[in-house]
Amino acid sequence: MSWSLNEIEALARKAARGGGMNWGLAEETGKATRWLCAAGWPGAETLAALLLAQDSVTWDAVRPRTDADPWAARDGLLCPSAAGAALTDRARDLADGRTIIMAATARPLLLVPYTAWAADLAGRPLSIRWPGVTVTCGGDGVFADIADPAALTATRTETLEIGPAEHATGQPLPRAHRGDLPAGAVETLTAFAHRTYAPGTPESRASGAGAGLTDND
Amino acid sequence: MAEAETPTIALRAPDTVMKLARLGAFHQTRLSFMRQLLRRMKAEQWRFEERVFDIDTNGVGHAVYVAHTPRHSYSLVAFSHDLPADQRSDRVIATAWDATFTLFDGIPDEADIARLAKNVPRQEGGRVSERELSLSRANRSVRLWDYVVDRLAAGKQPDARKIAEVGYLMRTTAVYGSGKFGAADRDALADRPEFRAPFQVEMLSVYLTRAFVMDLVEHMARVRAPGQALALDPVLRRRFGIGNSTGLGMAPFLITHPALLNNWVASREEALRRVRALPEAPRATVSAFRQTAARARIHAHGWRSEHPGQQAKLEDLRADMLALTEHLDTADMTAPYPWDRLWRWGEATLSLEGQEQLVSLLLEPHGDLVDDLCETMSADEEDNWRIDGAMPLADLRVIIEDVYGWALAIDWSAKPAQARIWYTSEEKLEPRMGERFEEPLAPYEQPLCPGRDAALMHAALAASDAPTVAEFLLKHPEHRHIARRAQIAAQLPYAEIRDNTIDASMMPIDMLRMKLSFFGACHFDPRSDRWVRINMYQNAPFPEDLARNAADDWTLPRLPEVGE
Repeated sequence: MSWSLNEIEALARKAARGGGMNWGLAEETGKATRWLCAAGWPGAETLAALLLAQDSVTWDAVRPRTDADPWAARDGLLCPSAAGAALTDRARDLADGRTIIMAATARPLLLVPYTAWAADLAGRPLSIRWPGVTVTCGGDGVFADIADPAALTATRTETLEIGPAEHATGQPLPRAHRGDLPAGAVETLTAFAHRTYAPGTPESRASGAGAGLTDND
Repeated sequence: MAEAETPTIALRAPDTVMKLARLGAFHQTRLSFMRQLLRRMKAEQWRFEERVFDIDTNGVGHAVYVAHTPRHSYSLVAFSHDLPADQRSDRVIATAWDATFTLFDGIPDEADIARLAKNVPRQEGGRVSERELSLSRANRSVRLWDYVVDRLAAGKQPDARKIAEVGYLMRTTAVYGSGKFGAADRDALADRPEFRAPFQVEMLSVYLTRAFVMDLVEHMARVRAPGQALALDPVLRRRFGIGNSTGLGMAPFLITHPALLNNWVASREEALRRVRALPEAPRATVSAFRQTAARARIHAHGWRSEHPGQQAKLEDLRADMLALTEHLDTADMTAPYPWDRLWRWGEATLSLEGQEQLVSLLLEPHGDLVDDLCETMSADEEDNWRIDGAMPLADLRVIIEDVYGWALAIDWSAKPAQARIWYTSEEKLEPRMGERFEEPLAPYEQPLCPGRDAALMHAALAASDAPTVAEFLLKHPEHRHIARRAQIAAQLPYAEIRDNTIDASMMPIDMLRMKLSFFGACHFDPRSDRWVRINMYQNAPFPEDLARNAADDWTLPRLPEVGE
């Protein structure tokens, strides 16, 4: 079904929050999902799979240890939302020419929007590379060089690198105003989003929604 | 004139302006979105067309009203229903309405209408597409609808006083835009000048809705008494606006759109500053100002509300308008910086209602000076949400103390300071407000209390040895949301409401009124502390009148001696 990008962002934000992220990270995850869907990439499916895999993990387990090289999670896979936030927060390092390497990372596709934002903030083109995929962001737009289409939807990558781009290769990324979301991903994201909704109660209906004087006169 | 006398005229401080009590006293101005729309319609000579009016004797059917701009056509597709009285409710939990609407991008064909007929009447339960720009509904005013139909069918005009008591025949409730329920995103329309100003899709939809409602009431009288029914007298017809009921759902919007909030308020404040900075006032401008002030006084007397809080504010406003009238009789408007002197008198003398009304009045005769600020009222939140992780932590702390100093002075351990909680209900997924200490809502709290969150982060900053925001947030991701807001507010002074949005005494209607005033609404009539009724487009020219009438002189009632 065709979704507006606002709907996609709102659903993804709520799902990320329902999946255990704090609001600040969830906001960026919503925008990252929107970005991917506008590019025609499976952002919603990727987020749905990530939330299922990460359900009930703690932030401290999946956030990057940024004082180590490469960045790695304490336990298991790096969360791309956590790593993406840390990446954009260090855009100035990237502006200075630093390359950030990440060890085992879940759903690397979700890191592409963060790379694009970091390139904007850094004011220089950056590329993100993992086996089978190189995406170059900044300057004249976003270019995707995809040697292995399956790598785009990879569950994980053992290594990933974000750093200065020499020259863009591949195809320019389209930007659409709609996204097509498959029913399965919508179902999963909706279930996660539902965790953020308070159950309806008579008290809530009576006062929370704003009753008062008659509304039928 | 000695140059030393030149006063320094600065923008009003955010700590003064962004208080809920003051925001809840805002009035429409010439920068308001309805007025921007009508000025554009007139300047660009939009054409209007009633393309379809296929409504049966029970009032059931559909209609299509088209606005042709120089570049695009937009169609209000209206579905009219026969709603049992016991189902009529303005609340968001309603599931049926007297009429439902969408604004269509272009002119719909039969297949579009068939598709829309299956979805638009269901509102939130249906689905629209990127061809649709809005989704809305309206209910009849029980007090006025049958009365007007009865009178017209009997060959008589309705009584002007009865019209004034209500002011509209239908009330819209939610008017959904930008991407809601499948509709086109605002981003997708970004290159259309007619939609560059905020909420122009919604304002156009409501403007055409008013035209449809007036045609519908005359149609219902005609089918009741063919050959005998009258059309409404054009003078009376213009006295009908379109009502609106707005609930809590609109309040969080102001908090979730900080850049937009800033740009609305900053434009209005800059307009006030420009007028105050004028060294002199031409006689004609003073005369126009006096006339507008007199009209605003009549407006204040015609404004009705049963809400005790609003009644008290109306008493203040009426006294303020009298005080202004008397002051103008003696004020020396030939002295230097007369508008600034008048403003300072108002600040010292008038209630918040009167002060903010004075802002609107000061802008009114200065269109040439302030109307360009309409161009600065849009915002792209996408430009502002990225966190500057390289910022030294000490700088973030300074920002918090500057922007949220008022919040640091609150004792957040006292229950009243956190009595309220914003959440989303699972029923219609709309925002609600509950009692934190009486209902088990804490796990569902929405981040709509920047003051408390800033105070919490301030305490964490004091205990952190992280050198930068990036390092702090890596350890304290729970503060990421408020760190972002603080950095936005450091750039955009009016981005944050500088008041406690979860206090026991907080009135959401203050937020609603502020937003609706920017739409251009009048006659704010709170029905509780959580929802408010307004009137939109009352006295505005109808589409067919725009070519012959002034597009922008309708918001305030005319003076009796020059009016009808």
